[in-house]
Amino acid sequence: MAPSLTSTLGDTGKRPVLNAGNISASAMMAPALILVGVFILIPAAVAVIGSFFDFGMTSATWTFVGGANYRRAVTDPLFWLAISNNIFIVIGSVVSQVGGGAILAAILDRGIRRGSVVYRTIIFMPVVISSIAVAFVWMLILDPNVGPLNAIVKTLGLSPPRLGWLGDPAISLWMLLLIAAWQNVGFQMMLILAGLQAIPKEHYEAASLDGARGLKAFWYITLPGIRNVLVLATLITVIGGFKVFDLVFVTTGGGPANATQVLGTYTYTQAFSFGNMGYANAMAVVLLVTAALLGWLQVRLSRRA
Amino acid sequence: MTLRARSVAIGLHAFVSLWTLFVLVPVFVMVISAFKSQAELFTRPLALPRQFSFAAFERAWGIGISGFLVNSLLVTALSVLFIVIASSLAAYVLARSDKPVMRWVYVAIVAGFAVPLQSVMVPLYQLVSSAGLLNSRLAIALPYAAYGIPFTTMLFYTFFLEFPRELEEAARLDGCGRIEVFFRIVLPLSGPVIASAAIFQAVFNWNEFILALLMLTKTDVRTLPVGIYGLTGQYSADWPALMAGLAIATVPLIVIFLLAQRHFVRSLAGLGK
Repeated sequence: MAPSLTSTLGDTGKRPVLNAGNISASAMMAPALILVGVFILIPAAVAVIGSFFDFGMTSATWTFVGGANYRRAVTDPLFWLAISNNIFIVIGSVVSQVGGGAILAAILDRGIRRGSVVYRTIIFMPVVISSIAVAFVWMLILDPNVGPLNAIVKTLGLSPPRLGWLGDPAISLWMLLLIAAWQNVGFQMMLILAGLQAIPKEHYEAASLDGARGLKAFWYITLPGIRNVLVLATLITVIGGFKVFDLVFVTTGGGPANATQVLGTYTYTQAFSFGNMGYANAMAVVLLVTAALLGWLQVRLSRRA
Repeated sequence: MTLRARSVAIGLHAFVSLWTLFVLVPVFVMVISAFKSQAELFTRPLALPRQFSFAAFERAWGIGISGFLVNSLLVTALSVLFIVIASSLAAYVLARSDKPVMRWVYVAIVAGFAVPLQSVMVPLYQLVSSAGLLNSRLAIALPYAAYGIPFTTMLFYTFFLEFPRELEEAARLDGCGRIEVFFRIVLPLSGPVIASAAIFQAVFNWNEFILALLMLTKTDVRTLPVGIYGLTGQYSADWPALMAGLAIATVPLIVIFLLAQRHFVRSLAGLGK
């Protein structure tokens, strides 16, 4: 701001409009910069700094502990369990959400003409529903006492899991994957569909003249055409898999017996249930670095795509 | 059509139809359960209610949903307003300036996009609580705005790059300053991108959970997601009332989505641009 002020003073006064413009340029930037700085960038820096200290939720004193919080994470089996659950969700989500979304998009792009808009709209709908509502509706569906899924399974003559769909440690994580796919496949479908529709029709016509149809056309024209979009969809899904919180927090709270504990819920528990703010920060930084690297890739890619 | 082509077509239709059905069932369960009695929910889980009863809606409304609804409206409207104003102002300057420092400003704002809320829970909570702003519906709109700004700034930035400069230059010659040009010329012609950004962010903030969980600890200031979450502890057995509350929180969004689908999808496509 200062340089433009001095240049106003040094100016002959012929072009006051431009200088007034410079001052207001800074003023116009200010709200966005201040909000992002105060509520995102500074807290992120404080999280990094705080990860080297030990402090409680309300305590004013921070004790420097060096890398102790990170060493604690490395030797904490629950931290590794949470990470491996995140990775399970990441891989499962890429397969189910990007894979499912790609198949649906491909069918809706070229296979189905009539009713395509209706299908698209319905499949996308869960994206606008809050994950809290999604979580509770699925809890009702999967409920061992009143849930319709148990009723259906019983009418088919099968026996539902004795501990409940979300209460059985062997299947609860799979159920979360299913719910996440239910909510997010429509998003990936839309993203990939936009990519498919950007491929010029002439490419297919030219290829068809050369005898490339069906799978061959898919391999040589469709796939290269949506490669960037597919990478972007995968990145968004991977980031989402590491950030997952609401769904797990509400449905299982990380249970049963930590079977669905993820980085987000474990960080929350350490911070706000046990008051280990320093340790929570160290785990938060692990998430921050992971997400920041992937997010940086995403921004780069999406500008190129 | 040959027989083979026809059976492929039927197979593709079947796959899409099955997934569509799979998507609809939970929404259907939510809505019909909200009209049932507790007994009927248990005995006929998938059937339509024998008679549509609004009793569950009344119970939900009475135990706090009405207040949560008002809070959600207030917080969402306020945060979306902040996001649109702050992002469009910043994006306009960024799109019109060729100063090297602006590149860094852009990077700083967009960097916010990569920071997950979960990773700053602790400092954010301490910041807000030490500022004495816990349980304030006005204060929570500020971090909500902050988290919407990076994406929205990118969205506006791309739009302003393509905005015809001739209009702005004409206004400048008439003696308008930069801010005047922005509010009188640029913003009124930015309707579509404003709508896309506003709808996208409104859905996001209406549904937001983590920040609300941390910052809104008193029941009477809570928004719908965290308010309903808080009620389930006390009323865990009342599934119809819970579903009624969720329907109140969800149905308006679905309606808005159906009406403004075009805008919403365009904003999403911004992720791929």
